Amino acid sequence: MKYLPTIGIECHVQLCTKTKLFSEVDNDARGKEPNSCVSPIDYALPGMLPRLNGEAIRFAILAGRAMNCKINLHSRFDRKHYFYPDSPKGYQITQFYQPIIGAGYVELPSGTKIRIEHAHLEGDAGKLTHFDTYSLVDFNRVDTPLIEIVSMPDIHSAKDAHDYCKELWRLMCHAGVTYGDLYNGNMRFDVNISLAPEGSKELGTRAEVKNLNSFRSVERATSYEIKRQSKLLDQGKKVVQETRGWSDAEGKTTGQRSKEEAKDYRYMPEPDLPPINLSKEFVETESAKLPLMPSDYRSAFSDAVKPDTLEILLDYPQLMQKLGEIASPSHLGHTSLRSSVPRGFQGRSAKLMVLDGMASTISLISNLFTSVLLAEEKSAEYLNDLPSAKDLIELAEMNEKKELSSTATKEVFLKLFDPQMKGRGTKNIAKELGLIQENDLGALEKIVDVVLAKPETQKAQNDFKAGEEKVIGFLVGQVMKESHGKANPGAVQKILRDRLSK
Amino acid sequence: MDIKREDILHLAELSEFTLSDAEIDDLGEDLKGIIKYISQLDELNTDQVEPTYQVFEMDNVWREDKILPQEAEREMLLELSKEDQDHQIKVPKVL
Repeated sequence: MKYLPTIGIECHVQLCTKTKLFSEVDNDARGKEPNSCVSPIDYALPGMLPRLNGEAIRFAILAGRAMNCKINLHSRFDRKHYFYPDSPKGYQITQFYQPIIGAGYVELPSGTKIRIEHAHLEGDAGKLTHFDTYSLVDFNRVDTPLIEIVSMPDIHSAKDAHDYCKELWRLMCHAGVTYGDLYNGNMRFDVNISLAPEGSKELGTRAEVKNLNSFRSVERATSYEIKRQSKLLDQGKKVVQETRGWSDAEGKTTGQRSKEEAKDYRYMPEPDLPPINLSKEFVETESAKLPLMPSDYRSAFSDAVKPDTLEILLDYPQLMQKLGEIASPSHLGHTSLRSSVPRGFQGRSAKLMVLDGMASTISLISNLFTSVLLAEEKSAEYLNDLPSAKDLIELAEMNEKKELSSTATKEVFLKLFDPQMKGRGTKNIAKELGLIQENDLGALEKIVDVVLAKPETQKAQNDFKAGEEKVIGFLVGQVMKESHGKANPGAVQKILRDRLSK
Repeated sequence: MDIKREDILHLAELSEFTLSDAEIDDLGEDLKGIIKYISQLDELNTDQVEPTYQVFEMDNVWREDKILPQEAEREMLLELSKEDQDHQIKVPKVL
């Protein structure tokens, strides 16, 4: 029987604020010792009160606007109670009744729209490491600000589940609200999957696969669940509503022994945090800070950049911002104070357009980004310190005027990232490396004449005149050698043909 | 409102309490009394009244996103736990 899968996804995004959601403690625990980023508030000592981080509110507005969501002017926090060693308070502070982010949608590269039900702010839990007879608890992650994004059940295939998660990741990275490091759990996905016979109006029983941390595992786990549930239904069995875990190594999901029936979070308003009441003006001011989004680049660059190349580059907000600067100087990007998080403060207020004559430059530079820069071992390092738009535009101009061969263009391009060379200007670097091609016809003609006068080229000249076309290559080579590689081979060939046909 | 034994056991489980049979009965009686007392509020008509989420009329109490040095050091906090290992709190195995 054929079934239609219906999939909804919840995604947790860790925000890259400097401090935690409720305490003035360092929120960036990367590479830091366990329990070194913890205050008595995070530890939930008696009498400690949460102090709300205003930046998390601003980030929530940006994240919401990145997903075309309505921002709710009135929101507040609630307590969700449960006992587990990763939560020292015995409850999580979340937004159950009145979330800050309302309905919106995410558009996939394929054009499919996935609606967002809502998204809310909440604190993360600590980290547990399990050993044979005990577990160890690290509270560094306690109350790192999270945004939980809840989709509508609009997804119907494993591929769309993958694409939705990837697009969310891009939106959050372009908005500059997260470090977006999936390996370290900056974004985690819970996928709800149910199957119903095709044409049926009712949804089937769903299973939830929790805590997936890569797009690939989302796709694989979803595929697996669709197959598993189809098989059960074909055999006339029932799908059990449960939480399942995914094993990447085994490539399968397994039911987790859980006390589902005991789930009772006893939500209540958080009495220690006053409600959030935003003015329309505040929301508008903050929304205007949203940098350009993937959809802006897709529409502006559709002619200049091949779709495949563009989709690769969209994974790197820094590169897209640079291309935006090149396309139109009004989009001069700014790097935020936080070193690894670029945020263009120019925002989306001005529509991104490719200025006349810049399309070929955008095309060349985007190809250099994908084929040269991203292939470099040090590309991650380079991404945080890109050459200026001016240097890149100059490089494209020199290439277009044939002052640089395509090989030389790549070489100079890489030198623009070299700490020893960068900042000196493209032309100076090309000159220093002796890579500028000789295009001066007068000078080239002189070199050609020198070569033609040499005894060792006489035979080739006669052969060519006798109709042996391919020896032209040998003669061009001789001229290139004589010019120390600086001659433009196309121009040389033209002069040679001209001379030899006389 | 009637409080059943299962209700008490459910609450005990959520709170990670172990209760003796006698305690279950006693707590049931206590809870009945408490709920009866609070139920007096049901006599009021609150259809047109906005729920109160907090008693202070405040909103938007936010702080700056700035790291402040912490007086309580890691070891002071870890000392409060029953047992620690490798700068982490050691707990019975959970999974």
